[in-house]
Amino acid sequence: MAALRLAGKRSLELLKLHFKPAKPSEKFRPFLMRYGVFTGADGEQLDEVLAVYMPEKHSYTGLDQVEIFCHGGQQIVRRILGELVGSGARPAEPGEFTKLAFLHGRIDLTRAEAVAQVISASTEASLKAGREHLFGAYSEHIETIRDDLVTVIADIEAGIDFLEEDGESDNAASLARITSIEQKIARLEQSYDGGRIINEGFRVVIGGRPNAGKSSLFNLLLRQERAIVTGTAGTTRDYLSEWIELSGFPVNLIDTAGLRQLGGSIEKAGQARAEEMISEANLIIWMVDLSRKTWPSLLRHDLTELPKIPILLLLNKIDLIQQTKKDLVRKIDSTVSSSTVITSCKSGRGITRLKTKLVEAIESHMPDMTSGLVVTSARHKGKLGQALRDLRRARKNLVAGESPELVVFDLRQATSALDEITGRIYTEELLGRIFSKFCIGK
Amino acid sequence: MVSTDFDVVVIGGGHAGVEAALAATRMGATVAIVTMDPDKLALMSCNPAIGGSGKSQLVKEIDALGGLMGMAIDATGVQFRRLNLSRGPAVWSTRAQADRLAYTKSVVDFCRRQRGLQIIEGVAGEVLVDHGKVRGIRTESGEVILSKAVIVATGTFLGGLIHIGPEQTPAGRLGEPAACKLSNSLRNLGFEVGRLKTGTPPRLDGDTIDWSRCEPQPGEEPPPWFSYRSSPRELRQVVCHMTYTTDDTKRLVTANLAESPIFSGQIKSTGPRYCPSIEDKFYRFAEKDRHLIFLEPEGMGTSEIYPNGFSTALPESIQRQAIRTVIGLENAVITRPGYAVEYDYCPAYQVRPSLETRRVAGLFFAGQINGTSGYEEAGAQGIMAGINAVNHINDAEPLVLDRSEAYLGVMIDDLVTRSTTEPYRMFTSRAEYRLALREDNALDRLTRYARQYGLIDDQEAVAFEKLCAQTEQEVRFLRNTTVRVAELGPFESRFKKQTSVSLSHLLKQPGVGLEELLLIMKKGGKPRRPASDALRRAAIQIRYEGYIAKQQREIEKFKRQESEVIPDGFDWQNMNGLKNEAREKLLRFTPSSLGQASRIEGVTPGDLAVLAVHLKRFRDSPA
Repeated sequence: MAALRLAGKRSLELLKLHFKPAKPSEKFRPFLMRYGVFTGADGEQLDEVLAVYMPEKHSYTGLDQVEIFCHGGQQIVRRILGELVGSGARPAEPGEFTKLAFLHGRIDLTRAEAVAQVISASTEASLKAGREHLFGAYSEHIETIRDDLVTVIADIEAGIDFLEEDGESDNAASLARITSIEQKIARLEQSYDGGRIINEGFRVVIGGRPNAGKSSLFNLLLRQERAIVTGTAGTTRDYLSEWIELSGFPVNLIDTAGLRQLGGSIEKAGQARAEEMISEANLIIWMVDLSRKTWPSLLRHDLTELPKIPILLLLNKIDLIQQTKKDLVRKIDSTVSSSTVITSCKSGRGITRLKTKLVEAIESHMPDMTSGLVVTSARHKGKLGQALRDLRRARKNLVAGESPELVVFDLRQATSALDEITGRIYTEELLGRIFSKFCIGK
Repeated sequence: MVSTDFDVVVIGGGHAGVEAALAATRMGATVAIVTMDPDKLALMSCNPAIGGSGKSQLVKEIDALGGLMGMAIDATGVQFRRLNLSRGPAVWSTRAQADRLAYTKSVVDFCRRQRGLQIIEGVAGEVLVDHGKVRGIRTESGEVILSKAVIVATGTFLGGLIHIGPEQTPAGRLGEPAACKLSNSLRNLGFEVGRLKTGTPPRLDGDTIDWSRCEPQPGEEPPPWFSYRSSPRELRQVVCHMTYTTDDTKRLVTANLAESPIFSGQIKSTGPRYCPSIEDKFYRFAEKDRHLIFLEPEGMGTSEIYPNGFSTALPESIQRQAIRTVIGLENAVITRPGYAVEYDYCPAYQVRPSLETRRVAGLFFAGQINGTSGYEEAGAQGIMAGINAVNHINDAEPLVLDRSEAYLGVMIDDLVTRSTTEPYRMFTSRAEYRLALREDNALDRLTRYARQYGLIDDQEAVAFEKLCAQTEQEVRFLRNTTVRVAELGPFESRFKKQTSVSLSHLLKQPGVGLEELLLIMKKGGKPRRPASDALRRAAIQIRYEGYIAKQQREIEKFKRQESEVIPDGFDWQNMNGLKNEAREKLLRFTPSSLGQASRIEGVTPGDLAVLAVHLKRFRDSPA
């Protein structure tokens, strides 16, 4: 099945031109699904279809809208689209329907952003975060925190404006409230690391000395797991970058083929780029060639030079030697605390364990994933951080016995930081976002 | 040219009407106040006090704009003190008990001497309009007074209806008739007219009160005056008292709730939540057993007492019993009963931020007609309406203060962007830039406008400049003077790492105010300095400077939002893409900037985005 959407004043007209209903006597009624045949301009019957019409007041786009459900073959879809374009329609630009929905007030900007995320979601986790934002759970969560904050402010304000009434403001209660709000915001702020992984992928760099089996592992993982097609994936002379989905998480695999070929043919600039790739990684898989006799000393040396990023040691080519795991691990210096997997890329031994280790590593970066409330935007993280700083200052002042109008000042600053996330406070920034996202006017 | 009798006619001689008329005459206009009783200008219908939290800031702003209220209370107040002294100076609020009749008399005398101002006894019955422009008024007795602008400042007189128990009497104040025809005239002009309610307590004969059972509350010495233009005077301040209701009060009031028109269903309009009747207090806060009552004198020449906190509309006989259950009032005699009053108002979405009505050019509303409550709120609107009525006549841009400039700006912005659900009273918490909107800097904020519109004379302007120069000098003094940490007494422990500290640094410590500072200086053998106004101003300025610098960024953000002006010809009707609720709200309030639109309840960020898009299209489209 495929669904085609037409939006605009002439939608119904175009439908009537090409759609021959099974019951011609019936009229098009809003939201009533009709069965019939889609015919070309020359009268050729192209497909059996279902068609529905939605008038402008009640459609997603806010314009007269028609949806046609046809059989899913690419050929047939292309023919039907061709006929519609031939009759005066034009293909929609990516996200154009959502843009229309936004411009007609059907959805607000945060939801429009969420729709974009849902559409472009490459993985299950990314889709889930997008959905949470789309259905407003995220904004609701922030609004709840904001409510708590407003309650504290109201309590303290009451002490200022209604001092003649009894009802001395209760500092201990305010303090407890502020602390609890701080914790909630801190938790949310910390989820950003997880959010970034959802949007940008968990970055794994495969490194090791030449012939450790880096490319074999890279290709093996790509073969076994669903590869994600993205615009950013690409091959450079210095490294290979591909995306796979692992347990619903997007993983960006980077094979630094040339790195560590010290004194080799790689130019300095390429070396620098590869070093940079490593420094931005969430995890390094460091591969060791067990068939080289000197591997323990090489490893000790290499480990001292690697950046301070979690490392997963892969003792590869186990198929080429006759040693037990115990022997191997004993050979690694006891100071090496990295977790270790023994593999053979050739036979596939240990690869499942490697994947388990990878997923564990990703999950450890994902605090509070169960709630699905994840900060995915750097802007939001910034505002949450600002709110936290304001709250800390307010708490400090409250404890120090500073006068209440100053405590309230910081609490209010924190509130407006939250309001800028939900868009409650209208800022130029928001305006900027609108105009950068959608080309409006000239 | 159509000949007129006056430039401006002001309907009503209350706190709004008087300030409006005086501002307009100061700007050179000829003005008539049409009032029922020329001897009762600026009468205090309810409590005999001026100022209080949020309100005192308004009085200082009125004063900075050349208004009368501050000077009138300085001349006739019987007790002055500042509220909130244990909090920071941004929320210090001066409050004065007035000699009620002396206050009115001083205002009447002042107005009689004001050149260009005529006080006409009469009841306005109709606003005359021609082709959407105001032409003057007709009184109930048929007299026509032509003018270029009209300011309606009718208070509780517009359709006033007084309730005492089940009895209802059309009246503006007890024993004074209401203005009934004018409401209809406004309705006929197409204005939406609503009802609000307020109330007042019974008045007591002070000679029948057992003062020994009440807690005295003296004034502050020296008295904190309101106006920088007042000349100091000798004043022996009177003492106010506090007392409490008892279990008997609670029992009696609760048992008789049904007798009160507020609960019987007789009154349907909303009263102020922040100033509830005693019935309301016991009903809504049933868990509280007693309530605080302030016993405030009505003046020097009278023994009448105003029991603040005991507003009621219970039948007179029950009022008599109930008041005697209060501690110290066991034998108290009521001189005038308390009552509730319902009156007409015009929801303020119908006025522009200049207070000119959207519907009729040259017609202005000020005070309770805009849904506010309180003398200070009324006076503040009055002065703006007066200034802008003259601006209107002169074809000049209206003066609109914004939320970062004045409480006055906060109030009017609140009024024109929010639906009134109860009478609006000012609070300091309504002002988001509160740290910058203080009593002590009202002059700094507003004197330039006062000069621009000729609201103050040269002498006053010079006095202000002198004050500014002195303040700067004191700021330098506080920054450049250091004291040894060893001499800091209780504050010594806060500065372990240094041997000396500047006075300005000290001022930023919690718990250190000017008083503490002066004490420290005295101990440290520093030259004694009088606690002058300039020094006070300097100390406050320094205490808040860090916060205000931070607030300045917020203010800049706010100003950018306000500068997204929605032009007059903007096509609100054809703005598709809005949810119905938002469309209705925007059509109703017709905000004048995106910032203002963002403050309208029910308008979501999404709606604002749509509005922004349409606004950009509107601006970009060829005219």
